[in-house]
Amino acid sequence: MKVFAFHRLKVYWPLYVMAIPGIVFLIVFKFIPLGGAVIAFKDYSVFQGFDDSPWVGLKHFKTLFDHPDFARVFGNTLMLGFLKLVLVFPFPVLLALMINEIRKSALKKGIQTALYIPHFLSWVIVGGILFDFFSLSGLFNIVIGWFGLEPVLAMQESDYFRPIYAISSIWRDAGWGTVVYMAAISAIDPQLYESAMIDGASKLRQVRHITFPLLLPTVLVLFLLEIGNFLDLGFDQVFNLLTPMTYSVGDILDTYVFRTGIQQAQYSFATAVGLFQSVIGFILVFVFNKLSKKVSDGGLW
Amino acid sequence: MVESKRERALVTGVTIFLILFSIAAIIPLISVISTSFSSKSVVDMNLVTLWPKEFTLDSWKYIIDRPDLWRSFFLTVGTTVIGTILALLMTALFAYPLSKSEFRWGSVIMVCVVIAMIFKAPIVPYFLTVRSIGLYDNPLVLILPHILNPFNLIIMRTFFKQFPKELEEAAFLEGCGYFRMLFHFVLPLSKAVMATLALFYGVVLWNQFQHPLFFLQDTNWFPLQIKIRQFITDDSVMMAGTASTVNLNYNERTLRAATVIFAIIPIIIVYPFLQKYFVKGAMLGSVKG
Repeated sequence: MKVFAFHRLKVYWPLYVMAIPGIVFLIVFKFIPLGGAVIAFKDYSVFQGFDDSPWVGLKHFKTLFDHPDFARVFGNTLMLGFLKLVLVFPFPVLLALMINEIRKSALKKGIQTALYIPHFLSWVIVGGILFDFFSLSGLFNIVIGWFGLEPVLAMQESDYFRPIYAISSIWRDAGWGTVVYMAAISAIDPQLYESAMIDGASKLRQVRHITFPLLLPTVLVLFLLEIGNFLDLGFDQVFNLLTPMTYSVGDILDTYVFRTGIQQAQYSFATAVGLFQSVIGFILVFVFNKLSKKVSDGGLW
Repeated sequence: MVESKRERALVTGVTIFLILFSIAAIIPLISVISTSFSSKSVVDMNLVTLWPKEFTLDSWKYIIDRPDLWRSFFLTVGTTVIGTILALLMTALFAYPLSKSEFRWGSVIMVCVVIAMIFKAPIVPYFLTVRSIGLYDNPLVLILPHILNPFNLIIMRTFFKQFPKELEEAAFLEGCGYFRMLFHFVLPLSKAVMATLALFYGVVLWNQFQHPLFFLQDTNWFPLQIKIRQFITDDSVMMAGTASTVNLNYNERTLRAATVIFAIIPIIIVYPFLQKYFVKGAMLGSVKG
C-alpha cells in the first residue's frame, strides 16, 4: 500500500503542483471572505481580525432593522429587483423568438451584432452615454421638443430613475441575453417543425406549440438564477446612474453597503446588510426551486 | 411549402420591429459620436442630433492632449493584457488536473468551486481580506482578484475532459510528463476555448470599476473607467488646463462625449473580429447551465 502511494506521488505530483495556485486563489479570494462574514455577529476591529473580534450576537441586525434608512433602501432594492424580473427578464426570450424567424442570414447577423455591442460597454460608459442623451441639449430633449414638450433633466429627476434603470438594463443586456436562448432554439429537432408543417400548423402555432415549450426549461433555469440575484442589482449600474437628486429612489443595498462599509468603515454593520442580502437571495432560490419542481420537472437541483 | 400571406406579413412585421430595435440600440452611441465632433455653439443651440454640425476636431484634440487620460489608458491596456495572460495560465493550470480522474482532490475541489460560485461573500469581509494581503492602494488589485473565475474554470475543465484519451496515453508511453503534456499538446489544441476565455477575462479587466473604486486612492493608478467617471461627473477635472471657456470651440458636453467615445474605440475595433468567440463562449457556458 505504501509502495503504491509512493508510486502515485512519483507519477502524479505535477497534477498537485499545478493545482496549488488555483487552490490558494480560492482560499484567499473566496473562502476567507466567506468565512469573514461572521463579523456580522461581531464587533470587528482591525487589530483583532475576523477570528478574535468579540461576539455581539444580533446587535448589528437589530440596529439595521431599526434604522430609518433601511426601510427606504430595502424598498428601493425590492422595487428595482421587481422591475428587473418582470420587465427586463422576458425581453431576451421574446427577442430570441423573433430573431429566430428571420431567414436572411446577413440581416440576422447584422441585427445580432447591433444588439450585442452595448453589452461590452462598461456601466461608466453607459452612464456617460445616458447623461449625454438626457442632457438639456441632448437628443432626448431635442426630440420631445419637436412635440412641444418642456425639456426635462431625466437623470436628475427621481420619477425617471426607475424607468431609466429598466431601459438601460434592456438596452445593454437584452440583446446579449438572447445568445443562450438562440443556442437552446437551435438545439430543437428540425423534424418536429417538418411534421408540424405537414400537419398544416402555421408559424405562430409552431412557435406556440414547439419552440416555446421546448425553450421553457432554459427560461426556467435562468429565471431561478435571476431570482437568486433578486437583491443583487449590480453595483456598477446603479452607482453610475445615481445622482444626489435621485438618491431617494435609487439608493439600494449595494450602494448603502459601499457608503456605510467602505467609506464610513462600519465594517460589521455593513457585513450584516450584505449577509441579509445573501440570505434573502438564497431563500428565494430555494423556495422558487421547490415551486418549479412542482410545476414542471425543471429546477436547479 | 407555401407560406400564407398572413404569415409572410407576420415575418415582415417581426423583421421591421427588430431592425428598429437594433437602430434604437445604436442611436445613443451615434448621438454621442456626433456631439463629440460638433462645435460648442451648435450643441448649445440643440442642433446636433445624429450628424455632426460645424464639424470640428477641437474636443478630440483636447482629449488627446491630456496626459493623465493616456496614462490611465495605457495602465488599463497593460493590466488587461497582463491580467488576461495570467488568468489563462492560472485557469489552464487549475482546470487540467481537475479534468483528470487520477487527481484525487478533484471532486472535493469541484464542490468548493461550485460553492464559491453560488455563495458570494459579502463585500465588506472581501474588502477587508484583500486589504489585509496588501492590495489596498496597490495597482496589483487591478489584476490579481480577476485571474481566476469559477465559471470560466468550469468551461475549460469541460473542454479538457472531452480530449481523446488515446492521444495522452500515447504521449505518456513516450515518457512525456503532465507539464509537457499540458503545454505542448493540450493547450495548442485548445485555441478556440482559450480565445473565448481570453475575451471573457479581457472584457472584465478592461471594464472593471468596483475594484479600483474600492481599493485605489492614488490618482496615479486610476484605470480608464475611473478616469472616465471623473471626467463625466467632475467638470473641474475635465476642464483642468483650460483657462477660460469663452473662446473655445468645445464645452463640457462635447468633451464628455469625446471621452466616452475614446474609451469605446478599442472595443469597437476588436469587436467584429472576436464576436464569434464571444458567442461560442456564451454557448459553452449555457451548456453547463
